[in-house]
Amino acid sequence: MYEQVVAINIGLAMLLAMSLNIITGFAGQPTLGHAAFYGIGAYTSALLTAKAGWPFLLALPAAGLVAAVVGVLLGLFSVRVREDFLAVTTIGINFVVVAIFQYVELFGASLGLAVPKPVLFGLRFGNTEILILLVILNILVYLFIRHLPTSWLGLALGGVRNEEDAAASLGVNPDHYKVFAFGIGTFIAGMTGSVYAHFMGFISSSDFAFPVSVGVLSMAVLGGLGTVSGPLLGAVILTLSPEVFRFVSDYRMLVYGGLLVLMMRFQPQGLIGDDSFLRRKWIGLFSRGKGGE
Amino acid sequence: MKSRFSLSLLILILSLGLMLAGCGGGGGGDKKPAAENKTPIKIGFFAPVTGPAAADGDSVTKAAKLAVEKINKTGGINGRQVELVAYDDNLKPQEAVSIAQKLTTKDGVVAAVSGSYSHTTRAAAPIFENAKIPMIAAYALHPDITKGGDYVFRQSFVGTAQGKAGAFVAVNMLKAKTVAILNVDNDFGTTLADSFTKYFESKGGKVVSRDKFTMVEKEFNPVLTKIKQLKPDLIYMPTYSGTGAQIARQAKELNLGIQMLGTEGIDSTMEFLKVAGATADGIVITTNLNRESKLKATQEFIKDYSEMAKHAPDMVAASTYDCFMVLAEAMRKNGAEPEKIKDGIYKIKDFEAATGIIKGYNKLGEVTKNVQVQIVKNGAFAYYGEITDAEIITPPDK
Amino acid sequence: MLVQQIINGIVVGSVYALTAMGATLVYGIMRILDISNAGAYAIGAYVAFFFLLQTGSPLVALVTGVALTAVFGFLVQKFLYAPLMNKSPNVSLIAGIGLFIFLQDFLRLVAGPQARELNFGTLLPSIQFPSLQLTLYGTWFLILAATALLLLILWLLLNRSPIGLAWRATAQDLETAKAMGINTNRVVAFNFILGYGFAAVAGILVGILYNSVYPTMGDVPAYKMLAVIVLGGLGNPLGTVLAALVIGMAETLIGGYVGFFLPRDAIAFVVLILILLWRPQGLLGRRRSS
Repeated sequence: MYEQVVAINIGLAMLLAMSLNIITGFAGQPTLGHAAFYGIGAYTSALLTAKAGWPFLLALPAAGLVAAVVGVLLGLFSVRVREDFLAVTTIGINFVVVAIFQYVELFGASLGLAVPKPVLFGLRFGNTEILILLVILNILVYLFIRHLPTSWLGLALGGVRNEEDAAASLGVNPDHYKVFAFGIGTFIAGMTGSVYAHFMGFISSSDFAFPVSVGVLSMAVLGGLGTVSGPLLGAVILTLSPEVFRFVSDYRMLVYGGLLVLMMRFQPQGLIGDDSFLRRKWIGLFSRGKGGE
Repeated sequence: MKSRFSLSLLILILSLGLMLAGCGGGGGGDKKPAAENKTPIKIGFFAPVTGPAAADGDSVTKAAKLAVEKINKTGGINGRQVELVAYDDNLKPQEAVSIAQKLTTKDGVVAAVSGSYSHTTRAAAPIFENAKIPMIAAYALHPDITKGGDYVFRQSFVGTAQGKAGAFVAVNMLKAKTVAILNVDNDFGTTLADSFTKYFESKGGKVVSRDKFTMVEKEFNPVLTKIKQLKPDLIYMPTYSGTGAQIARQAKELNLGIQMLGTEGIDSTMEFLKVAGATADGIVITTNLNRESKLKATQEFIKDYSEMAKHAPDMVAASTYDCFMVLAEAMRKNGAEPEKIKDGIYKIKDFEAATGIIKGYNKLGEVTKNVQVQIVKNGAFAYYGEITDAEIITPPDK
Repeated sequence: MLVQQIINGIVVGSVYALTAMGATLVYGIMRILDISNAGAYAIGAYVAFFFLLQTGSPLVALVTGVALTAVFGFLVQKFLYAPLMNKSPNVSLIAGIGLFIFLQDFLRLVAGPQARELNFGTLLPSIQFPSLQLTLYGTWFLILAATALLLLILWLLLNRSPIGLAWRATAQDLETAKAMGINTNRVVAFNFILGYGFAAVAGILVGILYNSVYPTMGDVPAYKMLAVIVLGGLGNPLGTVLAALVIGMAETLIGGYVGFFLPRDAIAFVVLILILLWRPQGLLGRRRSS
C-alpha cells in the first residue's frame, strides 16, 4: 500500500529526528553524521539475520547496541573538541563509515546486501507489521524524550546545554552526560536502521550517505531543536513534501530547498520553538482559562 | 508549561494518526480490471530527474515520452491509447520504493519501466514482483534485479555479459595482452570489471592494475601517472560519462598514448563526447546502440529523438525507448493485462528495436541481443564491430 | 614519477585552497559553516559559461562571473544571514544547506542537467619533458598563478589596508569591534562579497581545468571545503592554504602509490580526524579560551 510506505518513511524519519534531538537539541552537541549510526544499525541487523541466522527480535536491539558503542566512542572524542570542529568531524565519521560499507566484502561492498523480511512467532512481516512496530517504537521514544526535561538526566543535559560552568559547579560532570546523550541517540538511530533494512529488503552504502544526515538535522532544526515534539513535526513536513510535490516532479527539490530557506529565515527557532508562530497561536487559544504558566 | 505539553502531545497524536491512517488505508488499493475498451493503458516510469544522475534522468524521460507518442501515433494498443505515469526518484532507493507502491497500488499501471540506476531499481523490483506487474529495467546492471521472479526483465546487457564482451573486444579486435582497469566503484563498474577480468585472463591476458573511484571523481592524474609507468596495451574503463571524459582528457594531456576501451556508461553524446572533445577520438566502447545500423527502427529512433531533444540520442535513451516498444509489442500480441504482458514478453522472438534485433528473453528475464562495438570518430560514435558470438552475448539464466 | 605526483598534489591542493577560501573568510567573521558558498562556486562557473557563450570573450566571462557572484553574496548576507546572526549556528547552517539545494536545482532547471563544456580555448599549451617523464598542463600554470596572486592580494588586503584592520578586529570579537566604532555591518558585507567572489573564481578555474560545468558541481566542494577549513583551524586563511595542500598531497600520493584503500573523500576526512586527535584546535588554530 502506498499510504503505508509513506507512513513508514515518516515513522523512520520521526525516530531519526528525535534521536538526533537528544544529542544536538538536549546535549547541545552538533552532529552532521547521524546517518552513519543509522547505517551501522542497518548493516548490523542485516548481517545478523541474513548471515548469522539471528531472529529479528534479537537483531533489533543488537543493531542499536552496536551503533551505540560507536556513538559512545564519538561522544568521548566530542568532549575533546568544540562545536564546529565536532560538526565537521561527524561529517567525517559519516564518510568513513559509508566508505567501509562500500569497500569491505563482508558488507556486500558495491553490490549492497539483501535483507530478509523479519519473522516473528511464525508471522512474516509485511508493511503493516513494520508500521505497527514503528508506531510502538515512536511512542516509546517519545515518552522517553517527553520525560527527559524533568528527569535528573534531562536536568543535567539542560545544564550542559545552557550553563556548562554552572552545571560543573553543581558537581555534575557535563562530559559524562554528553557521552550518555550520544549513546542513547545513536542507540535509537541504530534500531531505526534495523527497521529500515528489513523494510527495504535491500541496502547499499549510499542509503546512509552524508545528504541523509543533512536531511535528519534539517528535520530537527526545522521543527525546533530541544523541543519535545518539534522534530516530529519537522520529520512529517520534510518527508511528506517530496511526496506531496510529486506532481511537480521537476520542481520538487527546488521547493524543498526553498522551503528550508524560508522556514529558517522566518521561524529560526523552529516551528514550535519558543515564540514561534505556532506556539503563540496555541497559547493564545488555550492560555485564557489556565492563568498562565 | 501546561500548554507546551499539550501542543507537543497534539503533534505526536497527529503524526501517529497520519501513520495509522496508513494502516487503515489498506482497502483503497483497488485493482481495476483495465479491460474496458477505450480507457487508456497506463505504463509506469521512474527516473532520476533530480539529483546527481539528472542528466541520464533527462535523457530517459525524453525517450519515454517519445516512445509513448510513437505508440499512440501508430494506432496505440489495438485502438487504446497509452498513458505515461512518470515520477522522479531523486536516485534514492527509499523514493523508488514509494514510487513502486504508488504505481502498483494507486495509479493502476499494467506495466512499468525503470529508467533509473541499479540500487533504486533493485529496491523497487520486489514490489513489482509481489504486485505481479511486469517491470523492465532499461539500463540498471545489478545482477540481482531479475533474480526475484518472473515479472522483472532487463533491456540492457546484464553486467557479466557486457564485461565479457569488453574482454572479447580487447583480445580479438584490439589485440591487447595487458590491461589496466579503471572502474567506477559501484555495482556497474565492479560487475563489469570482474567479468572482464575473468574472460580476459582465461584468454591469456594480464591485468596489470585495477583502480576504483567514486562517481564524482574528477582528478585522474595521479592514477594515470602510475598507469603510464606500467605501459599496458589497453585501459579498460567501465565508468560513466563525467569520469570517463576526464580520464580521456587527462590521458591526452599526460601524453599517455594507450588505447582506451569504454562501455555503454560513456555512451553519451552530450556529457562524454562534448566534454572530452577531440581527446575522445579513437576510444572504443561496447554498447547497444549502433548508429550506422540499417534497421528502420534504429534510424527512426535516432531521427525522432534528435528532432525532439535537439541532440543525438545516447544509450540510456535508446534502451528506455525499447522497453516501451517491447511492452507495446507484448500488449498488441498477447493482451494488455499484467500477466498477459509478462507472458507476451517471454514470447518475443527476433523483434526489431532501436537497439538491434532482440532475440528474446531467457527465463530470468535477461535480454539476448548482439553487442555493438563503436568507436569515436570526429566527435561522434561510429561503427567498429558487432559481437554475434553466442558464447559472449547469451546472458546467464541463473 | 614522484616529481609528477608532487606537482599533481600541489595543483589539487591549490584548487582546494581556492575553493575553501570563500567559506574560510565567511567563517572568520560570522562563525557559521556556509554551505551555500559551494552554491556560489557553481553559480560563478555558470555565469562565466553563459557569458562565454554570449560574448565569446574569456575575460568578460571571468569578470562577470566573479562580479555577479560577489553581488549575489552581498544579497545572501543582507537578506538571509544578517537577520540570523544572533540565532543558533544550526539555523544558519540549515538555511545555507537549503539555499544550496535550491541553487543547484535552479541551475538544473535553467541550464539543463547535462555537463557543459567551459572551453576557454587553449590558453597555454601543455609542456612535455619526455626524458623526465613529466607533463605540465597549461591550465595548471593558470591555476597556480591565480591561486598565488589571489592569496597575495588577500594577504595585502587583510594585513595592509584599513578595511583589513577592521576585518581582523571584527573576526576577533564582533561586539567589541562594534563598541570601538567599527562599522561591522560593512565589514560583514565586504566579507561576503569577498568570500563569494573567491568561490566564483574557484568554480570558474575548476570549470576550465576539467572543461565542464554542471549543476551538481558544488556537491563535493560543499563538504570537502569544510574538512579543509576545519583542518586549517577554522577561519584562518593561512591555515586553510596549508590544510588544502596537506589534503591535496595526501590524496594524490595515496592514490598514486598505495591505491585508493578508501574513497578519496574519505581519505580527506581520515586525515582530518587523525590530525584533530593530535591537535584538537586544527593545524594553525589557536585554542580558544571559553
